[in-house]
Amino acid sequence: MAKEKKIVVKKQAYIANDEIADQIRVEMEEKNKLFFNIMGSIGAGKTLLLERIAEKLSSKYRIFVINGDVATTIDADRIAKQGATTVQINTGGGCHLTAKLILSELDKIDIDSYDIFFAENVGNLICPSSWDIGAQLNIVVVSITEGEYVIKKHPIIFKGADIAIINKCDIEGSDFDSKVLREDATKIKSGMKVICTSAKTGLGVDELINTLGIKFP
Amino acid sequence: MHEYSLAVAIIDQVKAIVKQHKANRVKKITVSAGPYEMVIPDLLYEAYDIIVDELDKFRGSKLELIMKPAEITCLNCDYKGEPSKEKDEEFAFNFKCSKCDSRDTHLNMQYLTIETVDLEIPE
Ligand SMILES: Nc1nc2c(ncn2[C@@H]2O[C@H](COP(=O)(O)OP(=O)(O)OP(=O)(O)O)[C@@H](O)[C@H]2O)c(=O)[nH]1
Ligand SMILES: [Mg+2]
Ligand SMILES: [Zn+2]
Repeated sequence: MAKEKKIVVKKQAYIANDEIADQIRVEMEEKNKLFFNIMGSIGAGKTLLLERIAEKLSSKYRIFVINGDVATTIDADRIAKQGATTVQINTGGGCHLTAKLILSELDKIDIDSYDIFFAENVGNLICPSSWDIGAQLNIVVVSITEGEYVIKKHPIIFKGADIAIINKCDIEGSDFDSKVLREDATKIKSGMKVICTSAKTGLGVDELINTLGIKFP
Repeated sequence: MHEYSLAVAIIDQVKAIVKQHKANRVKKITVSAGPYEMVIPDLLYEAYDIIVDELDKFRGSKLELIMKPAEITCLNCDYKGEPSKEKDEEFAFNFKCSKCDSRDTHLNMQYLTIETVDLEIPE
C-alpha cells in the first residue's frame, strides 16, 4: 500500500537558474572580468552596437560575445568581423538565454583568455527579464523606430535594467523625439542611466563604453 | 512565451524531491505567481502536460497555479508588501507605496514559487 504525503517546498522555480547565474557573476568578479547582458527588442540594433563596441575596443581588450538567437549565426559572424571572438547559441524555440546556456559556453573556453564578455540576448522585451544570466549589468536597447510607447508597454524589462539605450537616434525627428523615451525610462526606474545612441553613426557609443566602466584604448 | 522553461524548472526541482522522499509518483504540484510575472496559466499547464507525459513518475499529475498579489519594495521608506490599490494612469507597473505614497517603488519579481508537492509514498 502507498500513502499520500504533502511536502511543503516554498522554493522559487528560478532557483536553479539563479544559482548558476550567481556562480557566473562571482567567478567573473573574482577574475576581474566584465560581463554585460544586452537585451532589447527585435532589430533594435543590439548587434550593430556590439559591432561598434568591438571595433573601438578590440585593439586593447580581448572581447568574447555570446549571441543568442532562435536560429542562424548571422549576428555572431557580424561581430567577429570587428575583432571579437564570438559564439552563437541557437535557442531553437527559446525566447531568452539562461544561465545554464551561458555557463555551458564559458566551460568551453578559458575565461582568462578574455577581458570583457557580452551576451546578446534573444530579441524580445518580455521573457529575458525573468532570467538572470550572471551579468554584472543588464542593458536594454530599444530604438526610435519602435515608437514613443515602447517603454510604457514593456515596463518590466526596464524595472530590472541598469542602463537603457535608445538607439537609432540618427533618425530622430521623424514623428517624436527621444525625450519621451528618456523620461519614461527614468520614471519606470529612478536613477536609470539612459543613453541615446546611433549604432549607424557612432553617436553615444563612447558614452556607453564609459558608462560600462571600460577605459578607452 | 517562457512557460516551457518554467515548466522544466519546476519539474527539475520536483524530481529531486521525489528522489529524496523515495516517492512512487507525483500527484499534484502547487505553484504560486504574482500577477506581473507574465506567466500565462494555460501555456504553463500545456507545457507541463506535454513534458510529464514522458515521465513515468509524473504522468497524470496535476499542476495548480495560484495567483498572488503584487509585492513591492518602496525605495523611499523601505516598505515591503502589497502596493496601494490606486493605479498609475500612465505606467502599468509604477505602483504606489501604501505607506508613504511614493511611486519610487521596486516591483519584486521572480517569485514563481513551488508551494507544495503531493506525493505517493510507499508504506
Ligand atoms: N538608422 C539606423 N539603423 C540602425 C541602427 N542600429 C541598427 N540599425 C539597423 O537596424 C537593423 C537591425 O539591426 P541589428 O543590429 O541587427 O539589430 P538586433 O537588435 O541585433 O536584431 P536581432 O538580433 O535580430 O533582434 C539593421 O538593418 C541595422 O543596420 C541605428 O542606430 N540607426
Ligand atoms: Mg542581433
Ligand atoms: Zn514608501
